[in-house]
Amino acid sequence: MENQTFYYDNKIVKNFAYATLFWGVIGMVVGLLLALQFIWPALTFGIPYTTFGRIRPIHTNAVIFAFVGNGMFTGIYYSLQRLCKARMFNDLLSKINFWGWQLIIVFAALSFAFGVTTGKEYAELEWPIDLLVAVIWLVFGWNMIGTIIKRRTQHIYVAIWFYIATFVTITVLHVTNSLAIPVGLFKSYPIYAGVQDALVQWWYGHNAVAFFLTTPFLGLMYYFLPKAANRPIYSYRLSIVHFWALIFLYIWAGPHHLLYSALPDWAQSLGVVFSVMLIAPSWGGMVNGLLTLRGAWDRVREDPVLKFMVVAVTAYGMSTFEGPMMSTKTVNAISHFTDWTVGHAHIGALGWNGFLTFAVLYYLIPRIFQTQLFSKKIANLHFWIGTLGIIFYAVPLYWGAITQASMWKEFTADGFLKYPNFLETVTQLQPMYAARAIGGGLYIVGIVLGIYNLILTIKAGKFLPEEVASAPALLKVQGKRGSGEGIHRWLERRPVQFTLFALVAILIGGLIEIVPLYLINSNIPTIASVKPYTPLELQGRDIYVREGCYTCHSQQVRPFRSETERYGEYAKAGEYVYDHPFQWGSKRNGPDLSREGVVGGRQYRPNSWHYNHMENPQRLNAQSIMPVYKWLITDDLDLSTTAKKIRVMQFLGVPYPQGYDQIANDELMAQARGIADDLKAQGIQVEPTKEIIAMIAYLQRLGKDVHAAGQPTAINPVK
Amino acid sequence: MELNSNKTVEKDELTGDKLLSDHEYDNIRELDNNLPKWWVWLFIITIVGSLVYPFVIKTQKDEWKNEMATAGASAGQSSVVSAADTIALTDQASLDAGKEIWLKQCKVCHLEGGQGLVGPNMTDNFAIYGCSYYNVLNIITVGAPEKGMISWKTQLSGDQIKKVASFVMTLRGTTPPNPKAPQGEPCK
Repeated sequence: MENQTFYYDNKIVKNFAYATLFWGVIGMVVGLLLALQFIWPALTFGIPYTTFGRIRPIHTNAVIFAFVGNGMFTGIYYSLQRLCKARMFNDLLSKINFWGWQLIIVFAALSFAFGVTTGKEYAELEWPIDLLVAVIWLVFGWNMIGTIIKRRTQHIYVAIWFYIATFVTITVLHVTNSLAIPVGLFKSYPIYAGVQDALVQWWYGHNAVAFFLTTPFLGLMYYFLPKAANRPIYSYRLSIVHFWALIFLYIWAGPHHLLYSALPDWAQSLGVVFSVMLIAPSWGGMVNGLLTLRGAWDRVREDPVLKFMVVAVTAYGMSTFEGPMMSTKTVNAISHFTDWTVGHAHIGALGWNGFLTFAVLYYLIPRIFQTQLFSKKIANLHFWIGTLGIIFYAVPLYWGAITQASMWKEFTADGFLKYPNFLETVTQLQPMYAARAIGGGLYIVGIVLGIYNLILTIKAGKFLPEEVASAPALLKVQGKRGSGEGIHRWLERRPVQFTLFALVAILIGGLIEIVPLYLINSNIPTIASVKPYTPLELQGRDIYVREGCYTCHSQQVRPFRSETERYGEYAKAGEYVYDHPFQWGSKRNGPDLSREGVVGGRQYRPNSWHYNHMENPQRLNAQSIMPVYKWLITDDLDLSTTAKKIRVMQFLGVPYPQGYDQIANDELMAQARGIADDLKAQGIQVEPTKEIIAMIAYLQRLGKDVHAAGQPTAINPVK
Repeated sequence: MELNSNKTVEKDELTGDKLLSDHEYDNIRELDNNLPKWWVWLFIITIVGSLVYPFVIKTQKDEWKNEMATAGASAGQSSVVSAADTIALTDQASLDAGKEIWLKQCKVCHLEGGQGLVGPNMTDNFAIYGCSYYNVLNIITVGAPEKGMISWKTQLSGDQIKKVASFVMTLRGTTPPNPKAPQGEPCK
């Protein structure tokens, strides 16, 4: 049959590769700044734009979506063309994918710095940017599926299966989790509230890890590892089994982020068991990768690309064992809300994603520049500094996590908490935080070396924008299975059917977990004393969201003696029904705040305390690592949004009376004057229109309603 | 596409494993190896364990109740101070222990030297709830929640409350910087 000649588009690969390096450095430097803020809280500089709560989402989003995201596109655009023996479907779509993605990243960074955020982790983007993400993602999918359809190979290789699963699942996750009603261009309320919002968010959050950080990178591993090692894949059968098992089981595991929360027990149990069942499918990828290297281990010692890959795959194996362990209730009771989670995430991000990304870049940049890597020595140095960096990053955090969790839980012989002051448990971790910052710093030094090495490689080479290739045209094949052709082999040459099968596989778990939470009332027992927020509290809550308070403070007391003794009543599903969005948090750098407003409770502080604390936390406690929030005191609350916010809340089902939006600002001012008067009596002069008043009002509301309900027995299921 | 029209089984040179004949993607080949046995067993064990799990797990509410019941006898609740407690401790060890509690718990409102900020000044000769050692013990124990003074009896033992109250008595008359204006009644 006649050979066709065509050209691989290397320019799009190059663009994505450069973007990967650029955003990688920015994302990680912001991470280092965050790490240093634990040691020197003055490094928030006392201005809003560089405060921990605002730049933490910049760090996480930059690393996940900008660094790893661009790295993923780099690898996919390179490997997909070669695996399909075809140029990308459409050059314009490739360009839109590239520039659109970079635009999203710029918008994201700016909007977070300005406090425009939905307050949902890894999904902080507000609705206009969310729409842009959806469009660009569909462009990517269209371009990818288009390329697969016009391929010149009969079957699609396992790497492509993973790319397809990535595309369909991220689409479903992003759209479902981002559903919101806009209040304005920069503000929206999610359609879900409280427990439902939490479940949807962590179904998304967990599977963003699964389908943005894991499946595309498994795909990259399946292409670049055998290419770099020049070895056949260990087991095709294992590829099939672990692929389908992985994508089917992963989607169920989201609730493991909500163990011991107000989520119903049955949903938590699903999160536990599906996480444990994920060990083998996850390890399937590691096993298939490492066993592919059989017979080539001598080359691993010499080739930096393979070294990076081996550590990446090993880190993947470690974190996919650690993850299920952390998903058991026994370990989770210790690890949750501590730095263990942070350490775990960084084994994945720095080890698996970071190292695999660099392996891919070290592999493909010399090739598209028609040269050799400038220096193996520098690449080896990068490898060792990076590996040391990961160890220095993670080990202190594990140590610190166990230390802190033990301190939280320790009682004296008299039956009192041994460390009732939360801050003591933070101060204790200072040396670990310092070591962590050194580890992160080392990793960045490694990356800078890597970039230097790649720049010299690029300078020495000559870029090949259009790489010529040839392959026979694909004959029209019949749709039906041939005799002796296995079902999966058949599916591998039917990409559209394959995509639909993958979609069905990932929809099942999500539907079974999420839908009952809407349809069955007894999952969220109503608490009669829980009422909607007042307009002032609602505005204060939006400031709480804006400032990213959830990045350090949880609002979720777990049913442990050590927590009910420290904070008060453990969390009930019914107390969050008006929380659009939920603000349970996932990490306690400071204490839980959900019982802050309970007068007579252990966490209660008067208005004047909050005022002084926001103005200068270190004045009250020199060791405090809380940032200053001076601007809350000087900035006026935006009253123009109140009526609209009330109307949107009414639309979402929050039972404000008819016409309440018209009188909301009057009520707001009345409550604000009360707080201002109270502060005045304490010698603090502040106008009732300042943001700090709304913030105090919100904090003083937290936990009040559920404590008014008394003991848990007062909670009755509806109907 | 069919690479090998002949039916001889191709083998990987280095391992001797069988290669799948028509599996070739951009020069990547695939081996016909079976799933590793240990891997299959790992998968089966986790699945079986997961089927059993829902039947052995307790609800978290029950877990909490059990934990509280077990702690019951030793759960912290300070004995209410009695009117007989009229004499502050004066030994250095007790005062040092009291100071340590002060620095952890009290200074966030009354500041380190007791000069007051959110809470009243402890160094002047005025008091809202009385000046005597017994008065101080009492306010620490029962608190004045509506004003922001927590009841400490669930967080400090009776012994600890006595130590910190005794330390508070030593603050009166000291002169830390930026003292808060007097509140309450003058002490006699």
